[in-house]
Amino acid sequence: MKFWQKIYLFSILAFVLIFNAASIMVIERSHNTMLGQEINSALSQNMSIHSSVNAIVPILRIYDSIDYEKTILTNIAKEFVEKNSDDRIYLDIMNDTNRTIFSNTDFEMPTHRGELDKLAVEEIKYILRDIDQRTILFTSNITDINHKKYVFTYMKDVTSLYQERVDQYHFFVKVDMAACLLYMLIMFFVSRGLTKPIDRLNRTAQVIAQGGFSERVRLKSKDEIGVLARNFNDMATVVEDTINDLERNNQEKQRFINNFTHELKTPLTSIIGYANFLRTTKYNEELFVDGLNIIYSEGKRVESLSLKLMDLILLQENHFQMEEHDLGAIIAEIEPALKMKAKEKRIVIVTDCEEGRLLLEKDLIKVLIFNLVDNALKASAEQQSITICTYWRDSRYTLEVIDQGIGIAKEHRDKIFEPFYMADKARTKINNGAGLGLSICQSVASIHHAVIEVTSKENQGTTIGVIFDQIGPKGGLNP
Amino acid sequence: MQKRILIVEDDIHISQIIKMNLNIVNYETTEVYDGLAALEAMKQEKFDLILLDVMIPRMDGFTLMEKIQPYGIPVIFLTAKNSVYDKVNGLKLGADDYMVKPFEAIELLARIETVLRRYGKEEHVMEFQNIQVDLDKREVTIQGEPVELTPKEYDLIVVLLKNKNIALSREQFIDKVWGGDYYGETRTVDMHIKTLRKKLQLQDHIKTIYKIGYRLED
Repeated sequence: MKFWQKIYLFSILAFVLIFNAASIMVIERSHNTMLGQEINSALSQNMSIHSSVNAIVPILRIYDSIDYEKTILTNIAKEFVEKNSDDRIYLDIMNDTNRTIFSNTDFEMPTHRGELDKLAVEEIKYILRDIDQRTILFTSNITDINHKKYVFTYMKDVTSLYQERVDQYHFFVKVDMAACLLYMLIMFFVSRGLTKPIDRLNRTAQVIAQGGFSERVRLKSKDEIGVLARNFNDMATVVEDTINDLERNNQEKQRFINNFTHELKTPLTSIIGYANFLRTTKYNEELFVDGLNIIYSEGKRVESLSLKLMDLILLQENHFQMEEHDLGAIIAEIEPALKMKAKEKRIVIVTDCEEGRLLLEKDLIKVLIFNLVDNALKASAEQQSITICTYWRDSRYTLEVIDQGIGIAKEHRDKIFEPFYMADKARTKINNGAGLGLSICQSVASIHHAVIEVTSKENQGTTIGVIFDQIGPKGGLNP
Repeated sequence: MQKRILIVEDDIHISQIIKMNLNIVNYETTEVYDGLAALEAMKQEKFDLILLDVMIPRMDGFTLMEKIQPYGIPVIFLTAKNSVYDKVNGLKLGADDYMVKPFEAIELLARIETVLRRYGKEEHVMEFQNIQVDLDKREVTIQGEPVELTPKEYDLIVVLLKNKNIALSREQFIDKVWGGDYYGETRTVDMHIKTLRKKLQLQDHIKTIYKIGYRLED
């Protein structure tokens, strides 16, 4: 059963029960009150007859005649009946031999009247009797006249009271039905209205479960369901973000793998192709030397690719022992090696370093500088110069590698950090490059909480700045 | 007449090895290293087939493919990408075949031959020294004199001629002559080579290559 149906059904059940019980109690109570009043008035009427009879008892004693007693009693009774002719009132006077002296009843008096059995003198008893579809209130008392006991029975027809109760019940049933219908109608909308937000939450949850992660609940209410919807939306946002992150990550990895297979397959195609060619064709010295040269250089390319890849894999691990080093000193240490490399292309390397003690992983920093200088060398023509400088600015230490080479075109600038991205494929391959250098630099920089900034003008040169965000006084560092 | 093949491949070494392999079986080749140069070359010369790398600079292989279509030149894609999407995309654009790097030279030659045959550009007569092979009649003659060959011997001499100057292994001969589902001994190849040498007087030209197999040499 649905939640709104439960609310609906149980509230209707409760309403019907309480409303009916309350109404029945009210009707019964008013009926009982009226009946009580009737009984009281009947009793007092009886008492008044009794007292008026009592008043003439001394006179009757003087005459002591049964006939006279009869006549007097009949007269009193008649007088009384006439006085109350409007009401449906009956009077019955009986002597001790059960003979009726007076009676104006229009119905058969019951033959046996149990209330009289133990009725004492000066006592009034009442009883309700159903006679001929009428309800009659009997009030009886015994009056002693000249040692003869007369039974006075004052009766009142109270059928109307009962009839009224029946009428009230009829009316109540009508009201009850109308009230229930109205209540059902109202409760239907109320329960639907209350549970509608839950339905909406439900539908949204289903949409999300089917992969529609950008779906949100649109609920503005401030009650608990509104709070739930807000929390639900917050949760969905977190899930969506996480999934998007994962997807982006996955795509990045896929792109990396695609590029990697391409970079690996190309030299392999050359190596296998030449080896097979030399293996299966007739020996020709010129082709033989050419082929072996190509196999050698392509083999070198695979080697450098795998070394770079190993660097990159190592960088993913994040377990590095950072120690305090002077970056200027590290540059001075590797300067001879860099100069050797530059000499082949007749390029001059100039260094201008300030002292800067930072938390560094020495080997990684060497890899970073080597890669940056390598890139600068590849971009430079003969006789040009490369400047490596470090300086403090705004309590930040900056390392710059400046070349006067071919520069980086604008369209390549935001892609150069992607693994395997090459601005000029042919040139990169001639230099045995794999397009991984700047990716490695980026990883090293992020391990050192440093950012890399590229400023470049085509055919005028490139400046790569590595800005270390390790705030501290000159020469010191924060723990 | 020699067939002209355009090689569009940005990796110079790969381009070189393809050229060397094609030249040795008597195809004429032109090499270009990017998409725009390929278009230029097509305007200037007529080619019988194009070998096209997908990832080339200045205009990628798929775009170039659309430009090639009006020329009606058969195309074989060369690429390191081996995803289904690329294959479907390449073939949908009208490529005739697809080669995934790294590939073997004789496979490339076989595919080039299949594509050329589909375009009715294959040779009808092959010549070697004083031997003539009529591919339509399946007839071999030496200086006009017909030579009796069994069907397998005929197939074998055709494979040797098509891969002239390239050594093939016994397994490759079996694959090409007897078919992939042949489970005989490789000695069968040796027997057939022996009779071919005798019947066609090719003792000096069908060379036994140590550790590999046989090669027909000029």
